[in-house]
Amino acid sequence: MTEMDNTDIALRAEGICFAYRDKEWVLRDISLSIPRGKATMIMGPSGSGKTTLMKVLAGILDPQRGRVEVLNHEIGKRTRRSLYSLIGYIPQQLGLVRNLTSLENVLMGALGRCGHGRVMLGLFPHHEIEQAQAALDLMGISDKSSEKVFRLSGGQRQRVAIARTLLQRPRVVLADEFVSDLDLDLASEILRLMRQVAEREQMTFIANMHEPQLVREFADQVLLLDHGELVRGLPRHGLQGQPSAEVFQ
Amino acid sequence: MRTDLFVMALVAILLSIVLGQLGFFDAARLMKGLRNMGTLTLEMLPPDASVLPVAGKALWETVQMSFAGTMLGFLVSLPLSILGTRHLFSAPLSNLSRLIAAGIRTVPVLLWAILFVILVGLGPLAGTFGIAAYTVGYLAKIYADLFEGTDPEVMEAVQSTGASRFHLVRFVVFPEGANAILTQLLFMLEYNIRASSILGFVGAGGIGFVMQVYLQTLEYRRLATVLLLILLVVLMMDGVGAWLRKRFLLTAH
Repeated sequence: MTEMDNTDIALRAEGICFAYRDKEWVLRDISLSIPRGKATMIMGPSGSGKTTLMKVLAGILDPQRGRVEVLNHEIGKRTRRSLYSLIGYIPQQLGLVRNLTSLENVLMGALGRCGHGRVMLGLFPHHEIEQAQAALDLMGISDKSSEKVFRLSGGQRQRVAIARTLLQRPRVVLADEFVSDLDLDLASEILRLMRQVAEREQMTFIANMHEPQLVREFADQVLLLDHGELVRGLPRHGLQGQPSAEVFQ
Repeated sequence: MRTDLFVMALVAILLSIVLGQLGFFDAARLMKGLRNMGTLTLEMLPPDASVLPVAGKALWETVQMSFAGTMLGFLVSLPLSILGTRHLFSAPLSNLSRLIAAGIRTVPVLLWAILFVILVGLGPLAGTFGIAAYTVGYLAKIYADLFEGTDPEVMEAVQSTGASRFHLVRFVVFPEGANAILTQLLFMLEYNIRASSILGFVGAGGIGFVMQVYLQTLEYRRLATVLLLILLVVLMMDGVGAWLRKRFLLTAH
Protein backbone atom coordinates (compact mmCIF):
# COMPACT_ATOMS: atom_id res chain seq x y z
CA MET A 1 0.00 0.00 0.00
CA THR A 2 1.43 3.33 -1.02
CA GLU A 3 1.02 6.24 1.36
CA MET A 4 0.23 9.36 -0.67
CA ASP A 5 1.59 12.75 0.14
CA ASN A 6 -1.07 15.08 1.60
CA THR A 7 -0.57 17.52 -1.23
CA ASP A 8 -1.42 14.85 -3.81
CA ILE A 9 -4.75 14.08 -2.22
CA ALA A 10 -7.83 15.99 -3.28
CA LEU A 11 -10.37 14.23 -1.11
CA ARG A 12 -9.93 12.07 1.92
CA ALA A 13 -12.60 10.18 3.87
CA GLU A 14 -11.91 8.40 7.14
CA GLY A 15 -14.10 5.78 8.78
CA ILE A 16 -17.37 6.98 7.23
CA CYS A 17 -20.50 5.30 8.62
CA PHE A 18 -23.92 6.48 7.58
CA ALA A 19 -27.51 5.38 8.24
CA TYR A 20 -30.82 7.02 7.35
CA ARG A 21 -32.93 7.70 10.46
CA ASP A 22 -30.93 5.34 12.68
CA LYS A 23 -31.78 2.30 10.62
CA GLU A 24 -29.32 -0.13 9.12
CA TRP A 25 -25.91 1.24 8.11
CA VAL A 26 -25.89 2.24 4.44
CA LEU A 27 -22.17 3.01 4.52
CA ARG A 28 -19.86 1.01 6.75
CA ASP A 29 -16.47 2.27 7.77
CA ILE A 30 -15.43 3.72 4.43
CA SER A 31 -11.96 5.21 4.15
CA LEU A 32 -10.56 6.44 0.88
CA SER A 33 -8.16 8.91 -0.63
CA ILE A 34 -8.75 10.40 -4.06
CA PRO A 35 -5.65 11.68 -5.84
CA ARG A 36 -5.62 15.19 -7.25
CA GLY A 37 -6.47 15.85 -10.88
CA LYS A 38 -7.54 12.27 -11.63
CA ALA A 39 -10.86 10.79 -12.69
CA THR A 40 -12.11 8.31 -10.11
CA MET A 41 -15.21 6.25 -10.73
CA ILE A 42 -17.24 4.41 -8.15
CA MET A 43 -18.99 1.24 -9.28
CA GLY A 44 -21.33 -1.06 -7.45
CA PRO A 45 -24.67 -2.83 -7.71
CA SER A 46 -27.96 -0.99 -7.12
CA GLY A 47 -28.48 -0.29 -3.45
CA SER A 48 -24.78 -0.58 -2.65
CA GLY A 49 -24.75 2.97 -1.28
CA LYS A 50 -23.14 4.83 -4.19
CA THR A 51 -25.49 7.83 -4.14
CA THR A 52 -25.31 8.06 -0.34
CA LEU A 53 -21.51 7.97 -0.48
CA MET A 54 -21.54 10.72 -3.10
CA LYS A 55 -23.81 12.88 -0.92
CA VAL A 56 -21.62 12.35 2.12
CA LEU A 57 -18.50 13.25 0.13
CA ALA A 58 -20.27 16.37 -1.18
CA GLY A 59 -21.26 17.38 2.36
CA ILE A 60 -24.99 17.11 1.65
CA LEU A 61 -25.35 14.38 4.27
CA ASP A 62 -23.42 14.36 7.52
CA PRO A 63 -22.12 10.91 8.41
CA GLN A 64 -22.83 9.57 11.91
CA ARG A 65 -19.17 8.57 12.17
CA GLY A 66 -16.04 9.56 10.35
CA ARG A 67 -14.97 12.68 8.48
CA VAL A 68 -14.46 13.98 4.96
CA GLU A 69 -11.76 16.44 3.96
CA VAL A 70 -11.36 18.22 0.65
CA LEU A 71 -7.93 19.78 0.20
CA ASN A 72 -7.53 19.77 3.97
CA HIS A 73 -10.88 21.46 4.65
CA GLU A 74 -13.42 19.43 6.58
CA ILE A 75 -16.66 19.01 4.66
CA GLY A 76 -20.09 18.89 6.29
CA LYS A 77 -23.56 20.34 6.05
CA ARG A 78 -22.53 23.43 7.96
CA THR A 79 -19.36 24.21 6.05
CA ARG A 80 -20.57 23.14 2.62
CA ARG A 81 -21.88 26.46 1.41
CA SER A 82 -18.67 28.31 2.15
CA LEU A 83 -16.65 25.63 0.34
CA TYR A 84 -18.26 26.08 -3.05
CA SER A 85 -14.90 26.88 -4.58
CA LEU A 86 -13.63 23.48 -3.47
CA ILE A 87 -16.48 21.12 -4.22
CA GLY A 88 -19.08 20.93 -6.98
CA TYR A 89 -21.92 18.42 -7.23
CA ILE A 90 -23.94 17.13 -10.19
CA PRO A 91 -26.84 14.93 -9.05
CA GLN A 92 -28.30 12.03 -11.04
CA GLN A 93 -31.13 14.12 -12.50
CA LEU A 94 -28.67 17.04 -12.91
CA GLY A 95 -30.47 19.45 -10.57
CA LEU A 96 -31.26 22.00 -13.25
CA VAL A 97 -34.06 24.52 -12.74
CA ARG A 98 -36.46 23.54 -15.52
CA ASN A 99 -38.22 26.87 -15.78
CA LEU A 100 -35.00 28.89 -16.22
CA THR A 101 -33.02 29.22 -19.44
CA SER A 102 -29.74 27.40 -20.13
CA LEU A 103 -27.79 30.61 -19.52
CA GLU A 104 -29.57 31.30 -16.23
CA ASN A 105 -28.87 27.73 -15.11
CA VAL A 106 -25.19 28.11 -15.94
CA LEU A 107 -25.14 31.39 -14.00
CA MET A 108 -26.25 29.47 -10.90
CA GLY A 109 -22.61 28.36 -10.82
CA ALA A 110 -21.60 31.95 -9.99
CA LEU A 111 -24.03 32.43 -7.06
CA GLY A 112 -21.37 31.67 -4.44
CA ARG A 113 -19.38 34.68 -5.67
CA CYS A 114 -22.36 37.01 -6.06
CA GLY A 115 -24.06 38.89 -3.26
CA HIS A 116 -27.75 39.62 -2.85
CA GLY A 117 -28.02 43.02 -4.54
CA ARG A 118 -28.61 43.18 -8.27
CA VAL A 119 -28.36 39.42 -8.59
CA MET A 120 -31.68 39.01 -6.76
CA LEU A 121 -33.22 41.01 -9.61
CA GLY A 122 -31.65 38.56 -12.04
CA LEU A 123 -28.90 41.01 -13.00
CA PHE A 124 -25.59 39.14 -12.92
CA PRO A 125 -22.21 40.89 -13.32
CA HIS A 126 -21.23 41.32 -16.93
CA HIS A 127 -18.06 39.22 -16.69
CA GLU A 128 -20.02 36.31 -15.20
CA ILE A 129 -22.49 36.43 -18.08
CA GLU A 130 -19.61 36.42 -20.55
CA GLN A 131 -18.02 33.45 -18.84
CA ALA A 132 -21.34 31.62 -18.74
CA GLN A 133 -21.77 32.24 -22.48
CA ALA A 134 -18.23 30.99 -23.07
CA ALA A 135 -18.96 27.84 -21.03
CA LEU A 136 -22.06 27.15 -23.14
CA ASP A 137 -19.99 27.79 -26.23
CA LEU A 138 -17.38 25.30 -25.07
CA MET A 139 -20.16 22.76 -24.58
CA GLY A 140 -21.35 23.44 -28.13
CA ILE A 141 -24.79 24.72 -27.15
CA SER A 142 -24.36 28.50 -27.29
CA ASP A 143 -27.38 28.64 -29.62
CA LYS A 144 -29.53 27.25 -26.80
CA SER A 145 -28.57 29.87 -24.23
CA SER A 146 -32.00 31.51 -24.09
CA GLU A 147 -33.91 28.24 -24.35
CA LYS A 148 -35.65 27.06 -21.19
CA VAL A 149 -34.14 23.86 -19.86
CA PHE A 150 -37.34 21.84 -20.05
CA ARG A 151 -37.23 22.25 -23.82
CA LEU A 152 -33.72 20.78 -24.15
CA SER A 153 -32.82 17.19 -25.05
CA GLY A 154 -31.14 14.87 -22.55
CA GLY A 155 -27.62 15.43 -23.92
CA GLN A 156 -28.08 19.19 -24.02
CA ARG A 157 -29.14 19.22 -20.37
CA GLN A 158 -25.98 17.32 -19.42
CA ARG A 159 -23.95 19.98 -21.19
CA VAL A 160 -25.76 22.74 -19.29
CA ALA A 161 -24.99 20.97 -16.00
CA ILE A 162 -21.30 20.70 -16.93
CA ALA A 163 -21.22 24.35 -18.00
CA ARG A 164 -22.70 25.30 -14.60
CA THR A 165 -19.92 23.36 -12.88
CA LEU A 166 -17.38 25.00 -15.17
CA LEU A 167 -18.56 28.45 -14.10
CA GLN A 168 -18.44 27.42 -10.44
CA ARG A 169 -14.79 26.35 -10.92
CA PRO A 170 -14.58 23.94 -7.96
CA ARG A 171 -11.40 21.91 -7.38
CA VAL A 172 -13.32 18.66 -6.98
CA VAL A 173 -16.42 17.66 -8.97
CA LEU A 174 -18.69 14.90 -7.69
CA ALA A 175 -21.18 13.50 -10.21
CA ASP A 176 -23.82 10.92 -9.36
CA GLU A 177 -24.54 8.69 -12.40
CA PHE A 178 -25.22 11.84 -14.35
CA VAL A 179 -25.04 10.17 -17.78
CA SER A 180 -27.07 7.08 -16.87
CA ASP A 181 -30.13 8.28 -18.84
CA LEU A 182 -28.18 8.64 -22.10
CA ASP A 183 -27.32 6.06 -24.71
CA LEU A 184 -23.75 4.81 -24.68
CA ASP A 185 -22.42 6.97 -27.53
CA LEU A 186 -23.85 10.17 -26.11
CA ALA A 187 -22.77 9.28 -22.57
CA SER A 188 -19.24 8.71 -23.89
CA GLU A 189 -19.28 12.07 -25.66
CA ILE A 190 -20.47 13.87 -22.52
CA LEU A 191 -17.83 12.16 -20.37
CA ARG A 192 -15.13 13.11 -22.88
CA LEU A 193 -16.26 16.73 -22.56
CA MET A 194 -16.29 16.50 -18.79
CA ARG A 195 -12.82 15.03 -18.79
CA GLN A 196 -11.50 17.75 -21.06
CA VAL A 197 -12.97 20.38 -18.77
CA ALA A 198 -11.54 18.67 -15.69
CA GLU A 199 -8.08 18.44 -17.25
CA ARG A 200 -8.17 22.01 -18.47
CA GLU A 201 -9.25 23.38 -15.10
CA GLN A 202 -7.17 20.84 -13.15
CA MET A 203 -10.27 19.55 -11.43
CA THR A 204 -10.50 16.22 -9.68
CA PHE A 205 -13.46 14.29 -11.05
CA ILE A 206 -15.31 11.66 -9.03
CA ALA A 207 -18.35 9.93 -10.49
CA ASN A 208 -20.69 7.04 -9.82
CA MET A 209 -20.96 4.93 -12.92
CA HIS A 210 -22.58 1.62 -13.71
CA GLU A 211 -21.49 1.16 -17.32
CA PRO A 212 -18.16 -0.79 -17.35
CA GLN A 213 -17.31 0.34 -20.89
CA LEU A 214 -17.43 4.01 -19.86
CA VAL A 215 -15.43 3.30 -16.73
CA ARG A 216 -12.74 1.53 -18.79
CA GLU A 217 -12.64 4.45 -21.19
CA PHE A 218 -12.56 7.36 -18.76
CA ALA A 219 -11.51 6.32 -15.25
CA ASP A 220 -7.97 6.67 -13.96
CA GLN A 221 -9.02 4.52 -11.07
CA VAL A 222 -12.07 2.65 -9.89
CA LEU A 223 -13.59 2.06 -6.48
CA LEU A 224 -15.97 -0.83 -5.98
CA LEU A 225 -18.74 -0.51 -3.44
CA ASP A 226 -20.86 -3.41 -2.22
CA HIS A 227 -23.39 -3.38 0.64
CA GLY A 228 -22.00 -0.07 1.84
CA GLU A 229 -18.42 -1.31 2.02
CA LEU A 230 -15.51 -0.48 -0.21
CA VAL A 231 -14.34 -3.81 -1.54
CA ARG A 232 -11.44 -2.99 -3.82
CA GLY A 233 -9.71 -0.16 -5.49
CA LEU A 234 -8.61 -0.64 -9.07
CA PRO A 235 -6.76 1.41 -11.62
CA ARG A 236 -8.55 1.76 -14.95
CA HIS A 237 -6.94 -1.38 -16.33
CA GLY A 238 -7.83 -3.23 -13.15
CA LEU A 239 -11.16 -3.97 -14.76
CA GLN A 240 -9.18 -6.33 -16.91
CA GLY A 241 -7.65 -7.92 -13.85
CA GLN A 242 -4.96 -5.71 -12.38
CA PRO A 243 -6.06 -4.86 -8.87
CA SER A 244 -4.44 -2.05 -7.03
CA ALA A 245 -4.81 -0.87 -3.46
CA GLU A 246 -3.50 2.55 -4.27
CA VAL A 247 -6.66 4.40 -3.28
CA PHE A 248 -6.97 2.73 0.11
CA GLN A 249 -5.30 4.14 3.12
CA MET B 1 -65.61 -6.21 -0.55
CA ARG B 2 -68.12 -6.77 2.23
CA THR B 3 -66.46 -4.05 4.27
CA ASP B 4 -66.81 -1.62 1.33
CA LEU B 5 -70.53 -2.39 1.03
CA PHE B 6 -70.96 -1.99 4.76
CA VAL B 7 -69.23 1.42 4.72
CA MET B 8 -71.30 2.58 1.73
CA ALA B 9 -74.53 1.46 3.44
CA LEU B 10 -73.51 3.23 6.63
CA VAL B 11 -72.80 6.48 4.75
CA ALA B 12 -76.15 6.21 2.93
CA ILE B 13 -78.02 5.73 6.21
CA LEU B 14 -76.17 8.61 7.85
CA LEU B 15 -76.92 10.87 4.89
CA SER B 16 -80.64 9.97 4.99
CA ILE B 17 -80.85 10.76 8.70
CA VAL B 18 -79.09 14.12 8.27
CA LEU B 19 -81.22 15.06 5.22
CA GLY B 20 -84.34 14.12 7.19
CA GLN B 21 -83.33 16.32 10.09
CA LEU B 22 -82.69 19.21 7.68
CA GLY B 23 -86.23 18.92 6.28
CA PHE B 24 -85.27 17.34 2.95
CA PHE B 25 -88.14 14.85 3.04
CA ASP B 26 -90.82 17.49 3.76
CA ALA B 27 -92.53 17.16 0.35
CA ALA B 28 -95.07 19.93 0.94
CA ARG B 29 -92.34 22.39 1.78
CA LEU B 30 -90.22 21.40 -1.20
CA MET B 31 -93.22 21.77 -3.55
CA LYS B 32 -93.87 25.22 -2.16
CA GLY B 33 -90.21 26.06 -2.74
CA LEU B 34 -90.48 24.94 -6.37
CA ARG B 35 -93.58 27.09 -6.93
CA ASN B 36 -91.82 30.07 -5.33
CA MET B 37 -88.83 29.53 -7.57
CA GLY B 38 -91.10 29.70 -10.59
CA THR B 39 -92.70 32.91 -9.32
CA LEU B 40 -89.32 34.47 -8.55
CA THR B 41 -87.95 33.57 -11.97
CA LEU B 42 -90.96 35.15 -13.64
CA GLU B 43 -90.59 38.28 -11.55
CA MET B 44 -86.94 38.54 -12.62
CA LEU B 45 -87.83 38.59 -16.30
CA PRO B 46 -87.08 40.55 -18.33
CA PRO B 47 -84.00 42.02 -16.63
CA ASP B 48 -84.22 45.78 -16.17
CA ALA B 49 -81.41 47.31 -18.20
CA SER B 50 -81.99 50.81 -16.85
CA VAL B 51 -79.83 50.00 -13.81
CA LEU B 52 -76.83 49.14 -15.95
CA PRO B 53 -74.91 52.39 -15.22
CA VAL B 54 -75.38 52.08 -11.43
CA ALA B 55 -74.75 48.32 -11.34
CA GLY B 56 -71.83 48.61 -13.77
CA LYS B 57 -70.13 51.22 -11.58
CA ALA B 58 -70.65 49.13 -8.45
CA LEU B 59 -69.41 46.01 -10.20
CA TRP B 60 -66.31 47.84 -11.39
CA GLU B 61 -65.67 48.74 -7.74
CA THR B 62 -66.01 45.05 -6.84
CA VAL B 63 -63.51 44.07 -9.56
CA GLN B 64 -61.09 46.76 -8.30
CA MET B 65 -61.45 45.52 -4.72
CA SER B 66 -60.90 41.91 -5.75
CA PHE B 67 -57.88 42.71 -7.88
CA ALA B 68 -56.22 45.00 -5.32
CA GLY B 69 -57.09 42.73 -2.39
CA THR B 70 -55.85 39.59 -4.17
CA MET B 71 -52.57 41.22 -5.21
CA LEU B 72 -51.94 42.69 -1.74
CA GLY B 73 -52.71 39.34 -0.15
CA PHE B 74 -50.45 37.61 -2.69
CA LEU B 75 -47.53 39.93 -1.90
CA VAL B 76 -47.86 39.30 1.84
CA SER B 77 -48.42 35.56 1.42
CA LEU B 78 -45.15 35.03 -0.49
CA PRO B 79 -42.74 35.92 2.35
CA LEU B 80 -45.04 34.28 4.89
CA SER B 81 -45.09 31.03 2.90
CA ILE B 82 -41.31 31.12 2.40
CA LEU B 83 -40.90 31.42 6.19
CA GLY B 84 -43.32 28.52 6.54
CA THR B 85 -41.20 26.27 4.31
CA ARG B 86 -39.65 23.82 6.73
CA HIS B 87 -36.52 22.89 4.78
CA LEU B 88 -35.54 26.52 4.33
CA PHE B 89 -36.14 27.85 7.82
CA SER B 90 -35.94 26.45 11.34
CA ALA B 91 -38.92 24.60 12.79
CA PRO B 92 -39.95 27.31 15.32
CA LEU B 93 -39.98 29.99 12.61
CA SER B 94 -41.84 27.93 10.03
CA ASN B 95 -44.34 26.68 12.63
CA LEU B 96 -45.00 30.26 13.76
CA SER B 97 -45.54 31.37 10.18
CA ARG B 98 -47.93 28.48 9.54
CA LEU B 99 -49.78 29.25 12.77
CA ILE B 100 -50.28 32.87 11.69
CA ALA B 101 -51.60 31.74 8.29
CA ALA B 102 -53.94 29.23 9.98
CA GLY B 103 -55.19 31.93 12.34
CA ILE B 104 -55.95 34.29 9.45
CA ARG B 105 -57.66 31.48 7.55
CA THR B 106 -59.95 30.64 10.46
CA VAL B 107 -61.81 33.96 10.05
CA PRO B 108 -64.29 33.94 7.12
CA VAL B 109 -63.95 36.70 4.53
CA LEU B 110 -67.27 38.30 5.56
CA LEU B 111 -66.07 38.63 9.14
CA TRP B 112 -62.81 40.17 7.94
CA ALA B 113 -64.85 42.71 5.98
CA ILE B 114 -66.93 43.60 9.08
CA LEU B 115 -63.74 43.95 11.10
CA PHE B 116 -62.21 46.32 8.55
CA VAL B 117 -65.45 48.32 8.27
CA ILE B 118 -65.05 48.92 12.01
CA LEU B 119 -61.36 49.79 11.56
CA VAL B 120 -61.35 51.96 8.42
CA GLY B 121 -65.01 52.79 7.96
CA LEU B 122 -67.60 51.91 5.30
CA GLY B 123 -66.61 51.51 1.65
CA PRO B 124 -64.37 49.59 -0.72
CA LEU B 125 -61.18 50.10 1.31
CA ALA B 126 -62.59 47.85 4.04
CA GLY B 127 -63.53 45.28 1.41
CA THR B 128 -60.06 45.40 -0.12
CA PHE B 129 -58.41 44.75 3.24
CA GLY B 130 -60.89 41.99 3.99
CA ILE B 131 -60.12 40.23 0.72
CA ALA B 132 -56.38 40.73 1.21
CA ALA B 133 -56.51 39.17 4.69
CA TYR B 134 -58.43 36.14 3.51
CA THR B 135 -56.08 35.74 0.54
CA VAL B 136 -53.01 35.79 2.81
CA GLY B 137 -54.41 32.97 4.96
CA TYR B 138 -55.26 30.81 1.99
CA LEU B 139 -52.25 31.41 -0.28
CA ALA B 140 -49.65 31.30 2.52
CA LYS B 141 -50.75 27.75 3.34
CA ILE B 142 -50.98 26.56 -0.28
CA TYR B 143 -47.64 28.12 -1.23
CA ALA B 144 -45.77 26.86 1.86
CA ASP B 145 -46.90 23.31 1.03
CA LEU B 146 -45.96 23.88 -2.62
CA PHE B 147 -42.49 25.24 -1.80
CA GLU B 148 -41.79 22.34 0.53
CA GLY B 149 -42.33 20.03 -2.42
CA THR B 150 -39.50 21.64 -4.46
CA ASP B 151 -37.28 18.91 -5.90
CA PRO B 152 -34.58 18.41 -3.22
CA GLU B 153 -32.07 17.38 -5.89
CA VAL B 154 -32.30 20.79 -7.56
CA MET B 155 -31.96 22.50 -4.17
CA GLU B 156 -28.88 20.41 -3.35
CA ALA B 157 -27.26 21.04 -6.73
CA VAL B 158 -27.74 24.82 -6.60
CA GLN B 159 -26.79 24.96 -2.92
CA SER B 160 -23.49 23.31 -3.88
CA THR B 161 -22.63 26.34 -5.97
CA GLY B 162 -22.53 28.41 -2.78
CA ALA B 163 -26.07 29.76 -3.13
CA SER B 164 -27.63 31.24 0.00
CA ARG B 165 -31.16 30.58 1.23
CA PHE B 166 -32.35 33.76 -0.48
CA HIS B 167 -30.67 32.75 -3.73
CA LEU B 168 -32.44 29.40 -3.49
CA VAL B 169 -35.80 31.11 -3.02
CA ARG B 170 -35.20 33.45 -5.93
CA PHE B 171 -33.64 31.02 -8.39
CA VAL B 172 -35.03 27.60 -7.46
CA VAL B 173 -38.15 27.76 -5.31
CA PHE B 174 -39.98 30.50 -7.26
CA PRO B 175 -39.12 29.35 -10.80
CA GLU B 176 -39.81 25.69 -10.00
CA GLY B 177 -43.15 26.62 -8.43
CA ALA B 178 -44.07 29.25 -11.04
CA ASN B 179 -46.86 27.18 -12.62
CA ALA B 180 -48.62 26.45 -9.37
CA ILE B 181 -48.04 29.98 -8.05
CA LEU B 182 -49.81 31.45 -11.08
CA THR B 183 -52.58 28.84 -11.12
CA GLN B 184 -53.41 29.40 -7.45
CA LEU B 185 -53.24 33.17 -7.85
CA LEU B 186 -55.72 33.09 -10.74
CA PHE B 187 -57.98 30.75 -8.82
CA MET B 188 -57.85 33.13 -5.86
CA LEU B 189 -58.70 36.12 -8.06
CA GLU B 190 -61.68 34.32 -9.59
CA TYR B 191 -62.82 33.19 -6.14
CA ASN B 192 -62.43 36.69 -4.69
CA ILE B 193 -64.55 38.27 -7.46
CA ARG B 194 -67.35 35.88 -6.58
CA ALA B 195 -66.83 36.24 -2.83
CA SER B 196 -66.49 40.02 -2.83
CA SER B 197 -69.84 40.51 -4.52
CA ILE B 198 -71.36 39.80 -1.13
CA LEU B 199 -69.13 42.16 0.88
CA GLY B 200 -71.38 45.13 0.14
CA PHE B 201 -73.98 43.46 2.40
CA VAL B 202 -71.87 44.52 5.38
CA GLY B 203 -70.99 47.93 3.99
CA ALA B 204 -67.61 46.97 2.59
CA GLY B 205 -68.27 48.39 -0.88
CA GLY B 206 -68.99 46.96 -4.31
CA ILE B 207 -71.94 45.36 -6.05
CA GLY B 208 -73.18 43.68 -2.85
CA PHE B 209 -74.72 46.90 -1.60
CA VAL B 210 -76.72 47.32 -4.81
CA MET B 211 -77.82 43.68 -4.65
CA GLN B 212 -78.96 44.12 -1.08
CA VAL B 213 -81.04 47.18 -1.94
CA TYR B 214 -82.76 45.42 -4.87
CA LEU B 215 -83.42 42.35 -2.70
CA GLN B 216 -84.94 44.38 0.13
CA THR B 217 -87.09 46.50 -2.18
CA LEU B 218 -88.16 43.36 -4.09
CA GLU B 219 -86.87 44.77 -7.41
CA TYR B 220 -86.09 41.36 -8.85
CA ARG B 221 -85.83 42.53 -12.49
CA ARG B 222 -83.03 44.87 -11.46
CA LEU B 223 -81.44 42.10 -9.37
CA ALA B 224 -81.46 39.90 -12.49
CA THR B 225 -79.41 42.52 -14.35
CA VAL B 226 -76.87 42.58 -11.53
CA LEU B 227 -76.59 38.78 -11.49
CA LEU B 228 -76.12 38.70 -15.27
CA LEU B 229 -73.39 41.32 -14.98
CA ILE B 230 -71.58 39.26 -12.32
CA LEU B 231 -71.88 36.19 -14.56
CA LEU B 232 -70.36 38.18 -17.41
CA VAL B 233 -67.38 39.29 -15.29
CA VAL B 234 -66.79 35.77 -13.98
CA LEU B 235 -66.84 34.40 -17.54
CA MET B 236 -64.42 37.11 -18.63
CA MET B 237 -62.12 36.24 -15.71
CA ASP B 238 -62.21 32.57 -16.76
CA GLY B 239 -61.18 33.67 -20.25
CA VAL B 240 -58.36 35.89 -19.01
CA GLY B 241 -57.19 33.13 -16.66
CA ALA B 242 -57.14 30.58 -19.48
CA TRP B 243 -55.16 32.98 -21.67
CA LEU B 244 -52.64 33.72 -18.91
CA ARG B 245 -52.14 30.03 -18.19
CA LYS B 246 -51.59 29.31 -21.87
CA ARG B 247 -49.22 32.25 -22.20
CA PHE B 248 -47.05 31.69 -19.15
CA LEU B 249 -47.30 28.12 -17.98
CA LEU B 250 -44.55 25.64 -18.56
CA THR B 251 -45.38 23.29 -21.39
CA ALA B 252 -43.07 21.20 -23.48
CA HIS B 253 -44.70 22.22 -26.77
